[in-house]
Amino acid sequence: MSPSVLICDDSNMARKQVLRSLPEEWKDSVQIACNGAEALTILRDNSIEILFLDLTMPGIDGIGVLQGIQKLNLNCSVFVISADIQPEMQSKVKALGAKEFMRKPVQTDALLNNLQQHGFL
Amino acid sequence: MNEFHLTEDQQDCLQELINIAMGQASDQLARYLNTFVYLKVPSIESVAAEDLMKTLSQQKNTMAVVSQGFFGFEGIRGEALLVYQEEDSGRIADLLGYEPDELSQDEQLIDISSILTTTFLNVFAQQINNQLSYNAPKLLPNVQEILSEHLQQMPFTWDLALKVNINYQVTDYSFNCNMILLIPETAITNIKHVLDRILEEY
Repeated sequence: MSPSVLICDDSNMARKQVLRSLPEEWKDSVQIACNGAEALTILRDNSIEILFLDLTMPGIDGIGVLQGIQKLNLNCSVFVISADIQPEMQSKVKALGAKEFMRKPVQTDALLNNLQQHGFL
Repeated sequence: MNEFHLTEDQQDCLQELINIAMGQASDQLARYLNTFVYLKVPSIESVAAEDLMKTLSQQKNTMAVVSQGFFGFEGIRGEALLVYQEEDSGRIADLLGYEPDELSQDEQLIDISSILTTTFLNVFAQQINNQLSYNAPKLLPNVQEILSEHLQQMPFTWDLALKVNINYQVTDYSFNCNMILLIPETAITNIKHVLDRILEEY
């Protein structure tokens, strides 16, 4: 069965880049959030297994979402996909529980590799 | 973005390309300063050629402008201006931690500007399948008098300025600067075609 997936990014293009990289059979069960607040609402009301998360967003940013996930004690694997590639940011999101960090624009093989490494493929 | 006449999709696509370019420019700046740079979403707007002087002169306390020319192929060329505010000049010197006798403040500004401009433009160019060369960056002193003259002496006719508002927050300091890209009509047309090509892939 395909896992439940949420893609959170304020850019439509970036969301499509992620969507296009996912296995075909997953695509029907993917939900979309355009900002951090939307993501937290969806995460709270649904059981989401995989979250692809942008960091630099207006309002609640990716860091805010990661903190929210910890606060709500949600069991969700977060893959951060960001243009902010500073090493310190990468360790910060890992410390906040993110499984992996991928730089934008996301590459399909990197994304699939990461999914495989964490047992989703 | 009125003058640019971008569709919503084109605008979103351009913003994303700029975010990625800005992210890498910040990373370079962070490495250079050996610190962490807090990155906000940069806002972009376009300014018609005739309005640019007005826009810039509204910023009364503009301290310095560093100007650097760039050129690629397929008509992509332009001039990048980094515009700093007066109140930020001391902060930038503090931030760089240079001793007074090392580099002059002018040289520091040129250094920072060149890192930001070339990294930003290299990454941007890469994404639109282009490659850029650069002129040496130039600091324009006494900005108010010299800027309009400088803008008129460009080696090309620029029709539109793309203004990227950047706010860099570096640990205890923050400084604002605007990056203004002056680009000719041919470059704009080319960029739009590339945006469409990218969008078609999705």
